[in-house]
Amino acid sequence: MKFRLVIISLIMLASMSLIVACSSNESGDNRESSGQGDEVVVDLFNIKVETTDQLNNLIDIYESENENVKINVTTVGGGQDAPSALQAKFSSGEAPAIFLLGGLSDVEKYNEYLLDVSDMESAKTAIDGTLEGASMDGTPYGIPLNIEGYGWMINKDIFERAGVDPSTIDSYDKFVEAVETIDSQKEELGIDSVFAFSAKEDWVVSQFSSHFTAPEFGNDVKTAFESDELNFEYGDRMKEYTDLFNQYNYQPILSLDYSTSVEELFANDRAAIIHQGNWIVPTLNSMDESFAQEKLGILPLFVSSDTEGKIVAGPSWYWGINKEHDEEVVEESKKFIDWMYTSDKGKELIVEDFKYVPSHEGYDTDSISDPVSAEVYQYLLDEKGKIWANNQYPDGFFSEALHPEFQKYLGEQQSWEEFKEATSNAFSEMR
Amino acid sequence: MNFKNRTYWLFLLPTLLALLLVLIIPFFQGVYYSFTEYDGFQVTSFVGFDNYIKLFSDDQFLYSLGFTAAFSAASVIGINVLGLSFALLVTQKLGKVSTLFRTIYFMPNLIGGIILGFIWQFVFLKAFTGIADVTGIEFFRGWLSDTETGFWGLVILFVWQMSGYIMVIYISFLNNVPKELLEAATIDGANKWQSFWKVKFPLIIPAFTVSLFLTLSNAFKVYDQNMALTNGGPFGSTEMATMNIYDTAFKVQDMGYAQSKAIVFLIIITLISVIQLYITRKKETEL
Repeated sequence: MKFRLVIISLIMLASMSLIVACSSNESGDNRESSGQGDEVVVDLFNIKVETTDQLNNLIDIYESENENVKINVTTVGGGQDAPSALQAKFSSGEAPAIFLLGGLSDVEKYNEYLLDVSDMESAKTAIDGTLEGASMDGTPYGIPLNIEGYGWMINKDIFERAGVDPSTIDSYDKFVEAVETIDSQKEELGIDSVFAFSAKEDWVVSQFSSHFTAPEFGNDVKTAFESDELNFEYGDRMKEYTDLFNQYNYQPILSLDYSTSVEELFANDRAAIIHQGNWIVPTLNSMDESFAQEKLGILPLFVSSDTEGKIVAGPSWYWGINKEHDEEVVEESKKFIDWMYTSDKGKELIVEDFKYVPSHEGYDTDSISDPVSAEVYQYLLDEKGKIWANNQYPDGFFSEALHPEFQKYLGEQQSWEEFKEATSNAFSEMR
Repeated sequence: MNFKNRTYWLFLLPTLLALLLVLIIPFFQGVYYSFTEYDGFQVTSFVGFDNYIKLFSDDQFLYSLGFTAAFSAASVIGINVLGLSFALLVTQKLGKVSTLFRTIYFMPNLIGGIILGFIWQFVFLKAFTGIADVTGIEFFRGWLSDTETGFWGLVILFVWQMSGYIMVIYISFLNNVPKELLEAATIDGANKWQSFWKVKFPLIIPAFTVSLFLTLSNAFKVYDQNMALTNGGPFGSTEMATMNIYDTAFKVQDMGYAQSKAIVFLIIITLISVIQLYITRKKETEL
């Protein structure tokens, strides 16, 4: 009898302590982040996988200068579903102090947590207009991470060997002509196809669509976010471009993924044109140092005007700061972001180590090392950049509606009219 | 007696508690959310049966259910036929070799679904294209770029992964077939074929109950393999029910609606499993 009682009480004890352990764990975390003792812990949620190493390096330097601050980085992204992971963090009560916002829908979603950043140094130095993408009712809630631009990324070497000078392409017809010229010499040039558009990736399709939807929204972030319909005003031009690349693309286009498109075909001179942005530069550099320097170029798309080409360029992500944390944590988060974009060391790292196109003023533009990034920056300054309209689509629109419907068109499962109708309906429904 | 009863419940307590916390409470919470509009942060409104009504006109969801059913049918047949064949092969008296084969056949089961998906993606996209380039056989070209090859790609992957596991179940039942029955059959002049169909087969029917149950419910619930191999593409035509539910919840951020889909899906799986168990149980022979 006695033995039994002992066992029972042991089990009771074990299960009790389990429950206690679970709950005490939580309070332990809280205590840590509230910075008892001297150290302030700032949790940072990073989505830019490509520059994780650079970010860690920057944080190491920052921490060595500010010994009372500890910055914990969680990186989720690439193939993983980063927005869901971020939301899970918030739902589970482990909300990070600094995190990345994709567009206005994120700002709306996390609105109750977000700090008004208007008095921050890094908000004041941000290039005019770049704060728009994270502002609600005139209040900015995010600091732009960098400028990214996309359009047709080309291999200038192939163009030149085919006898086409990329700088003379100043209209849609010339672009078609260039594509046809290259296609006629495929064998001599040793390429598989002119285009390597990766239609397997939903985000590539989504970005491509942005060229045609941005002018419809008056090239304004707020209009794009508030619009509850998408009418494909520039649908005809979109169809022309789509048919063009589909005809001269590496096949099967529907299963062509990012890595085959960029790392295998484009980087190895097997395709002349892909639809990507300046974020592929580090990848190209890691494979062949000279590629980005000598061969890489960017061509605009001719949408609203036949003769004026534009690319999409603007801030893609914003740093948001969580105001729900303790004051010390919020203060340190602000200081860190300010340091990153306005201190000399921070600026140097942003341009030279991250190889970002800066979204803030006061940078030495000559220090942008690769030609394409410099070109993107130039487009932006010349006001030939369009907004990232795709970041303002309704949640899930590009992956659940636009991408499948676009693939159906490419795979000849439906007509262009049907594509437009299905996509427009889904847009209004999801908004 | 009274005390014994109490100890009984005390011993159950930790497990019950765990089940309550991670299964039962979330389940009822889920049922509740399925009647609401919920974005993962807050319930914005209570909508009654609207979500359920909506999903019966959601073409993509109905399509994905149909696709899942077709996938399950093909893979259940494939896995059981292959698993039983493997089991018969390795229960032949081959000495050390049969142990080696057992290990090899079972190995795919030890690899996680995501990795398997990527391995087979490489096989279908790169290796198959390579074969097509060398031999010129068009059959190997363009895998995963249309619905049909996407479907069979998934079936091949899943059969490859599961048949080793099912083989182990069949082996244990085959080894339990009494030797004297087989001997008697041989003396009566039965050949190998006859002794398999007339003696062994009826005795391993219980194995079918288990195997069919496992393969059927697993095939319906496949997610990671689907995600890694095709991710629903092209044009959402290889999207299974689980993926449709996940995407509704985490991409469209429509948690309430996704929850109602999940409940309907749960009811379907339960019904199918119960019916299957009922039918195969009836066929089992007692010695």
